[in-house]
Amino acid sequence: MEKPKEMKREKIKIPYERRKAMYGYGFISLWLIGTINFFIIPLFESFKYSFKNVNPEAGGMEGNWVGLQNYIDVFGKDPYFRPYLIEVLIDIVSKVPLILIFSLFIAVILNQKFKGRVFARAVFFLPVIIATGPVYAIITGNLNTSGNDNASQFSTMFQTDFVTELLEFTGVYGLNEKLTENIKLVIDNVFGLVWNAGIQILIFLAGLQNIPSTAREAAQIEGATAWEYFWKITFPYVTPMIIANLIFTIIDSFTDPTNKVMTRVLAMQYEWVYGKAAAMVWSYFIIVLIVVGLILAIVNKFVYYEVD
Amino acid sequence: MAMDTARENLIKDNKSKKERLKKRKESMNKEELLYLRRKQIFDKVWPFFRFLIIAGLCFVILYPLIFMISCAFREQSDMNDPTVMWIPRNLTLSVIKETATAMKFDETIINTLKLNIGCSFVQVITSAITGYGFARFKFKGRNILFAVVIMMILVPSQIILIPQYMQFRYFDFLGLFKLFTGDTINLINTAWTMYLPAFTANGIRAGLMILIFRQFFKGMPKELEDAAYLDGCGPFRTFVVIMIPNALSSFLTVFLFSVVWYWNDYYVSNSFFTSNQTIALMLKNIDTVLKMALFNDASLAVSARQLIVWMQAGCLISIAPMLILYIVLQKHFTEGVERSGLVG
Repeated sequence: MEKPKEMKREKIKIPYERRKAMYGYGFISLWLIGTINFFIIPLFESFKYSFKNVNPEAGGMEGNWVGLQNYIDVFGKDPYFRPYLIEVLIDIVSKVPLILIFSLFIAVILNQKFKGRVFARAVFFLPVIIATGPVYAIITGNLNTSGNDNASQFSTMFQTDFVTELLEFTGVYGLNEKLTENIKLVIDNVFGLVWNAGIQILIFLAGLQNIPSTAREAAQIEGATAWEYFWKITFPYVTPMIIANLIFTIIDSFTDPTNKVMTRVLAMQYEWVYGKAAAMVWSYFIIVLIVVGLILAIVNKFVYYEVD
Repeated sequence: MAMDTARENLIKDNKSKKERLKKRKESMNKEELLYLRRKQIFDKVWPFFRFLIIAGLCFVILYPLIFMISCAFREQSDMNDPTVMWIPRNLTLSVIKETATAMKFDETIINTLKLNIGCSFVQVITSAITGYGFARFKFKGRNILFAVVIMMILVPSQIILIPQYMQFRYFDFLGLFKLFTGDTINLINTAWTMYLPAFTANGIRAGLMILIFRQFFKGMPKELEDAAYLDGCGPFRTFVVIMIPNALSSFLTVFLFSVVWYWNDYYVSNSFFTSNQTIALMLKNIDTVLKMALFNDASLAVSARQLIVWMQAGCLISIAPMLILYIVLQKHFTEGVERSGLVG
C-alpha cells in the first residue's frame, strides 16, 4: 500500500514547477493570441510595407519590392518630414523639463495639508479626463476645420498679458532677449502645461507619499529648512518617478496624434501612399527610441534607488 | 464658576507654555534660534503664497469649462453683446437642443456607451488576468513576452493601424472562415473591431494597463495565495476569489482610466468606423456636423467665432457624462491611483 502512494506524491512533486508554468501560460494565453494577431503580425506587415510600393487591393495589400527607396524618399524628397521632425524634437526637448519641474512642484504642494486639498486635487486631475480627447483640440483651437478658414480658429483657453506687463514694469523685459523669450515661452504655455501635467502630478504624488515619515522627522530634528528638505530628502526619493514621468511624457508627446509628424503620416495614409507612410512612421519611431535611450542613459546615472 | 476656572486654567496653561518656550529658547544656541525664526516666518507666509498659486492655477484649469457652460446656455446674439461677459442675457436651452439634434446625441451616446463601457470592462478584466500571469508565474520566455508588453506601450498605434485595418476588412481566424464560407468577413464598421482587441487585452493603451496590474499584483503579499494553494484552491480560482476582491480599488482606478481613454479615443475608431458613430468622432468633426445641421451646407465658409456657441454646447454635452462620473468617483480616482501600483 505504501509504494503507490509515494509514487503518486513523487509524480506531483516533480512537475509542480512546470505545472505552475503551465498556469502562467494559461493566464497570459488570451493576451498572447491577441498580441500575435493584433500587434506582432501588423507590426511586421507595416515593416514590410515600408519596403514596398503598396496599393490596397481586394484581399489585402499588394505591391512590389522597392528596397530602401521609401526611406530615401522620406528623408530626401518629402518636403515636410524633416522640418516637422525637427520641430517636434525641439518642442519635446523644451516641453518635457518644464512639465516635469512644474508637476513636481504642484505635487509637493498638493501633498501638504491645507484646507480644500481634496478640491484642489480634483481640479488638478480634471485635465486627465479631458486632455486626451477632441474636446481639448476645440479648447485649444486646434480643431481641424473643413479647410476654408483655419485662420479664424481661436482658443478659449485662458490668456493673459499680466506677466508680460509685470516684467516690463520691473525692467526684466529688456535685460536679456533670450531670458525674456524663455520666460515668455513658459507664460504662454501655462495653460498647456497645467493641462498636460495631470498624470505626471499623479505619479509624483504617489511617489511623495512613499517617503517614510522617519526621514521627515530626522530632517526636522537636524533643522533642515524647507529648501534643504526638498533637495536632500524629497528629490532623491522621487528620482525613480522622475524617470517614469520622463519616459511617459516623451512617449506621450511623441505618439500624440495631433503632433505634426503624426498628422503628416495620417495625411499620407489618406493619399493612399501607405508604403511611404509606413517608412516615415518607422523612421520616426526609431529616432524616438534612440532619443529615449540616450536620455535614459544620461539620467539613469543620477537615480537613487532605495535598497530594501 | 466652572467657566471661570476653566478660563483661568487656560490662561495659566498658555502662560506656562510661553514661559516654557522662552526657557527653551534661552537654552538654544544662535543657530537654532535662527532656524526657529526662519521657520516661523515661513510657516506664516507660505500658506498665503500656496493659496495664490493653487487658486490661480485652478482658475486656469477651470476657465475653459466655465466658458463652456456660460456659452452653452446663451443665444448666439449674446456673443456680440459687449456687456455680456459670463452671465448670458438671454438664457436658453435651445442651443444645447440644436447641438444635440445635430450630433444625433441620443443615438450616438448609446452607441458610445455600448462600445466604451463594454470594451473598458472587458479590457480591464483581461489585462488584469495577463498582469497577474506576468506577476506571479515563472515560465520560459516570460522576459521576452514582457518586453513585448513594453513594446506595446512604446509603439505608436499609427504604425500598426493600416495592417490592422486590412485584418479587420478581410477577417479570418486561422483560415477557418474561408474554409467554411468560402470568403473572409468584413468587420469594418462593426463593434467587433473594438471588442476583439479588448477581449484579448490588446485594445487602447492595453500595454499600460497590463503594466499597472503587473506592478500591483507584484506588490501584494504572496502569503495570501500560498494559504489558498494549501487549502487546495487552483490558481485561477485563487485569482478570482482571493486576488480580485483585494484589488478592487485598483480595478476601479484602471477601469476609470480605461473608460476615459475609450471615451476620448477618436484616432483608432476613426480608422475602423466610416461614419460618426461615437461621441468623440462626432466632436472631431463637429465643424462639419454643425454646418450641415445649421446651414445645410458642409463646405460653407463660416468662421469658428460664429459657431462657437454650438461648439461649446457640443463640448459640454460630450464631456458631461465623464464629468459626472469623475465627480462621483473622484475620491477613488485621486486616492486610488496612489495605491494602484502605478508606482512600484
